[in-house]
Amino acid sequence: MSGTLGIIVDITLNSLVLGGVFLIVAIGLNIIYGLSRIMNMAHGALYAVGAYIGFSLVASGLNFFAALLIAPLIVGVIGLIIERTIIAPMRKRSMAYTLILTYGLMFFLDGSIKYIWGNKPRFIELPEFMQGTLPILGTDYPVFRLVTLLLIILIMGALMLFLNKTKIGIILRASSTIPEMVSCLGVNMSYVHMGAFVLGCVMAGLAGIIAGPLTTIDPLMGGEMLISSFVVIVIGGLGSLRGAVIAALLVGGVQTLAEFFITDLAMVIVYILMAVILAFMPRGLLGEGKFE
Amino acid sequence: MKRFITISLSIITAVMILAPYPVCAKKPVKIGVLVPLTGIAAQGGLEMKYGIEMAAREKGTVLGSPIKLLVEDTQVKPPIAVSKAEKLVYRDDCKALIGVLSSGVGLALAKNINKLNVPFLSTHVMTTKFYGLHPMVFRSGQLANDQTAVGNVKGILARPDLKNRTYYVLVHDYSWGHDAGERFIALAKKNGIKIYNENYDKAPIKTKDWSSYISKIKASGADGIYMAFITNVIPVFAKQAADFGLQDKVKLVSAAAPGPLELEAGGTACHGIFGVSDWSWDVNNPTSDDWEMRFWNEYKTIPSDAAVHSYVGAMNLFNAIEKAGSTDAKAIASALKGISYDGPYGTVRISAKDNCMRNDAVLTETMAASDNPFGATVYMKVLHTFPAAELGPPE
Repeated sequence: MSGTLGIIVDITLNSLVLGGVFLIVAIGLNIIYGLSRIMNMAHGALYAVGAYIGFSLVASGLNFFAALLIAPLIVGVIGLIIERTIIAPMRKRSMAYTLILTYGLMFFLDGSIKYIWGNKPRFIELPEFMQGTLPILGTDYPVFRLVTLLLIILIMGALMLFLNKTKIGIILRASSTIPEMVSCLGVNMSYVHMGAFVLGCVMAGLAGIIAGPLTTIDPLMGGEMLISSFVVIVIGGLGSLRGAVIAALLVGGVQTLAEFFITDLAMVIVYILMAVILAFMPRGLLGEGKFE
Repeated sequence: MKRFITISLSIITAVMILAPYPVCAKKPVKIGVLVPLTGIAAQGGLEMKYGIEMAAREKGTVLGSPIKLLVEDTQVKPPIAVSKAEKLVYRDDCKALIGVLSSGVGLALAKNINKLNVPFLSTHVMTTKFYGLHPMVFRSGQLANDQTAVGNVKGILARPDLKNRTYYVLVHDYSWGHDAGERFIALAKKNGIKIYNENYDKAPIKTKDWSSYISKIKASGADGIYMAFITNVIPVFAKQAADFGLQDKVKLVSAAAPGPLELEAGGTACHGIFGVSDWSWDVNNPTSDDWEMRFWNEYKTIPSDAAVHSYVGAMNLFNAIEKAGSTDAKAIASALKGISYDGPYGTVRISAKDNCMRNDAVLTETMAASDNPFGATVYMKVLHTFPAAELGPPE
């Protein structure tokens, strides 16, 4: 039986892990929306594709960490193909076209997943050292979840460095607020949009392989995560990176607390939170319609 | 006269040309199969479909006509299942409906059965609300929640490693889960089994991350978990509980039999799950062994509880149509009352009193499997067999 401190540690870590996964998925979605004004309805399906590819790579004998690098890259390549063949030709049309197209793509990817991997749940085999629990402040917490938390921090740190300190990152950010100026400076906006879409897809794939061992891999995981990540970006503010960070941690925390204390209403509470925030802040916590 | 013969021959020729197909090509008897093929229970639905298809193939004909199965996906959504049932009955002219995995879907169909006006035989719905629900609504597998509760409570009481524990009850938040939780708690209390949370916890069906629930169970100090989850969630929960180190400290008792493919996916995390069930491939009798191999040879899938009781249910339905001597809805319903089929897990009889089946069942524990024809690494080992009368309910 866990003591009070153990319970607090458990809840805190569970909140951070859940919020962290929401964050990685939502950030990917936000990058695509913030830079390209595309609401990618297939983002959840790409997250699931990342998880399944990760599963197959590990099942074929590849090290988990190698799969963690390769699976998102494969999803990125899939994203590149999607962007060049489906999204780019529609870019000049209204957002509704890409919304419908990506919605159709979601069904195609979901169907492909079922065709290739079937319906049964899959679990990613973890390296020996990541199995078992670690005693922390009165509770035994799974090592894998702690590693997941560390990975999420590293991924977010790397993303921030990329966006703030690299030339490509600076171009991406500038393209969100002053695309005309960026274009005048000789930057090909088509490549910017392509880069944003691929980066968003890589994030989805990364979240998929991270979430795989944490929960389970099944054909429904994408649709459910898409809804959760929508909640996160709506609360945080469409296009806002900082807003997504706050919102993901808030949603993860509220959902975990609700599941612990008011189990029967756990799912409803998150939507009530969203409704309350939108009632007072219609553009979300930090939403300015800009990617920042 | 010549003119009369010419006209007569012309009429006969015209009638022969325009007449419908000869009587030797008999119209098939259409049966509507409603199973989830997408959504959370898709794997179970596929196994149910296999079982019903296998029964239809082996039965071949009813009333001298071929059996034609028309399969529709319920998506485990009651409104969709009802509209699919309407399509099967009104448009496709199905004479009976069979299948249905979820209690919510089963109850929604039962509510519409007067309008549909065909017999509906569930091969999976476990809610106790099905007892005597409607003259046209039947259950032939799997065990109902009250029968499962009796089996599981008896199993807990019979095993010292399960008996002196405090059980935390966690169910899926829909009609079957609630019913399963309440039935178990009521019976467990009556028999002196300690329950930690009499107002049991209800988890949304879409729950993927069980860490909060597991933390709550850890904090409660309970050393037993009674879980009522849709079968393919059982290994997911077991895996996450094992991640948190609960597997060594807490015993899991399940209100539903885990599917064999899901057990395989869960691996060692799925060892040590107790539960009562109609059947497991560890049931050893010639009929069961033969059925397993026929199923395996056809589908190359580990034979499952969902498949076998769907097979048995379909056999009961086909035999009832033959017994009725027609495809009239009331005649089939009347024939289903009291009908029985001797299959892989003994005699499965549909009670004439309440339209629900009575059959023997087994208490099982999941563990590592030794060499077997299916290549399974985890299986449900049979610990004990309950005679039908012991599980009830009394008639």
